[in-house]
Amino acid sequence: MQVFLERLFDGISNGAIYAALALALVMVFRGTGTINFAQGEMALFTTYIAWGLTTKNIPVVLCLLIATIAGFTLGAVTERVLVRPIEKRSLLATLIVLLGLFLALNSLDGILWGNQNHSMPSLFPNGVNSFISVDGARLYWANLGVWLLVALLVGAMFQLFNRTRLGLHMRATASNRESAALAGIPTGRILLLGWGISAAIGAVAGVLFTPLNPDALGLGEMFPLLIYASAAALFGGLDSPGGAVIAGLLIGVAESMLSGYVSAIGGQLQEAIAFVAIVMVLLIRPQGLFGSKEVERV
Amino acid sequence: MTTSLATTRQQPLLPVRITQKSPAHRFLQVFGIALLVALAIIGSRTNSFREGQLTQALIYASAIAGLNLATGYTGMLSIGHSAFFGIGAYTTGILVSEHNWEPLVTFLPALGICFVFGLIVGLPALRIRGINLALVTLALAVAFPEVIDRFPGVTGGTQGLNIPLLQLLPPKWTGISIADRFAYYYWIAAFLLALVLVVCANMTRGRTGLAMKAIRDRETAAAAVGVNPAWAKVLVFGVSAALTGVAGSVFAMYLGSLSADASFTLTLSITLVTGLVIGGVATVIGPIIGGLAVIFIPYWTENLRQGETEGLFFGVILIVLMFVMPDGLVGFAVRISRHVLSVDPQPPKGAGAHRLAPLVPPTSEHHTENGGKEMTPLQRPTQAIPPH
Repeated sequence: MQVFLERLFDGISNGAIYAALALALVMVFRGTGTINFAQGEMALFTTYIAWGLTTKNIPVVLCLLIATIAGFTLGAVTERVLVRPIEKRSLLATLIVLLGLFLALNSLDGILWGNQNHSMPSLFPNGVNSFISVDGARLYWANLGVWLLVALLVGAMFQLFNRTRLGLHMRATASNRESAALAGIPTGRILLLGWGISAAIGAVAGVLFTPLNPDALGLGEMFPLLIYASAAALFGGLDSPGGAVIAGLLIGVAESMLSGYVSAIGGQLQEAIAFVAIVMVLLIRPQGLFGSKEVERV
Repeated sequence: MTTSLATTRQQPLLPVRITQKSPAHRFLQVFGIALLVALAIIGSRTNSFREGQLTQALIYASAIAGLNLATGYTGMLSIGHSAFFGIGAYTTGILVSEHNWEPLVTFLPALGICFVFGLIVGLPALRIRGINLALVTLALAVAFPEVIDRFPGVTGGTQGLNIPLLQLLPPKWTGISIADRFAYYYWIAAFLLALVLVVCANMTRGRTGLAMKAIRDRETAAAAVGVNPAWAKVLVFGVSAALTGVAGSVFAMYLGSLSADASFTLTLSITLVTGLVIGGVATVIGPIIGGLAVIFIPYWTENLRQGETEGLFFGVILIVLMFVMPDGLVGFAVRISRHVLSVDPQPPKGAGAHRLAPLVPPTSEHHTENGGKEMTPLQRPTQAIPPH
């Protein structure tokens, strides 16, 4: 029971991060109709910025804030400069540009910060003894903090989508850009904002995730996250923010349980499992669990 | 159709106009092929280091040509082709080292196995479109090295798989001495590339090619005119995977030892996509340029860079090319060369007036009709159909 609970806690923490990143992917997808391959690398870039600042003895909270702003800027600039001019041409061209950004950002990280791994200080008490005991299982403050922050973030996003005028504009732009523009919505600015917010979410996710494990900040850190997050986004339905969050949590818990209890899968094969899961889901339900069916008007 | 160069009579000097399948056009085609053969021979006469690089470039060119079928012509971005390349390589590696197969014979099972894997990966395309397939291929690229490492009994796992050198030596009928074995691999790679390019050229012409491009440019419209996009996509993906896979087989022969973590990761997939974009998406000879570029650009820039700037370099190239030269070097060259030489389509048979056309001094009207410049693949959708 104790082991089970600890695995569950770890799974929820990872799942919360996957959920946040999946939410970011969904936001971009709803706006632009593409998967942002560079989402993970943008998050890694901002995480490096945050880490660089913590080494200068700046409080972690402040670093998080700066990283978030940097993320927003990075996302917005990417949309305006790279994506908007190219997306009219074709989906393939957009994907290739984002792939280029993925490659360039990762390499740039290596040039700027070197290829050694670093440990990132946590926002929350992170000592060996900073846990509360739940039925004998250790629930670390760091885990609790991640849950809380991601819950707040997701809650804020849903408020934004469903309760504000801006959110209404975003939903309108996502559902039909032309009609939205005709109704007077500045769709360009909305898309810019969508990409910015999405990259900012990624920045928060990066700063939250990295301290969970020692020596986690490295050039290869975000890539598995991107895989799990895109699996979650697909699983939940690419256009469904709620679906992405639920699927992210499910995948996190499933990953933790599978690697813990099924020895054949352990460690190495997890991403392969995620792959098979994606294919299966797509074959049975192409629109994902909560997504809406794609309808094309001729 | 005697001479089609006559049509330039009342025209400005450039572009020179020739008709498709006319003797002049045939001559140019033969000349082009002869030029490629000559280049291949020159390549084999270089020093052994350069020859090794060229062999790799040829192998990559075949792999890129395979990728081109799915990504370039049919519009399905695949970043999982490293896995097919790897599957081909491991098929050859295992059959040669464990079962004593003759390396060249293993190309056939490699083709078959990769075709089947391609079908399986392409299967989601039956039900989903566009972006999701790209994600499936992404996951495939990531999963492949993990799966290889997971079954060390068959694949050598993280230790790698070594093919005994004795089994990779050129057979006697080739007349190539053991010392020259790298020339043997070079020529295998060259012949394979030639075969792959012939397959690609044939597939992308005519009905099949039109269907593929129609799916890429407007799937719904393609379905409306009787193409079954789902099956066409799955099949193209299978063929594409098979061609890339067989390139992997040659790679296994050339390298002699395989390690999934070193050779067949996502990096390779991105390299292949980069090569495709540099050479020219949806062009037949673009992959040759692409293969050369991904081998030689990092090598030549090695002195310039400090640290690992290769990724930054290729990333920036990808982005910049998509903006300024979306059809790559070959597409760009073709577009420029149209100002010098224009190949007009053959007039349709049965149209009496047209059959005589070359004999009669053409009117300028005739030219505006036929001489319209073809748009390049990545531009076509926008120019033909307004964006939504």
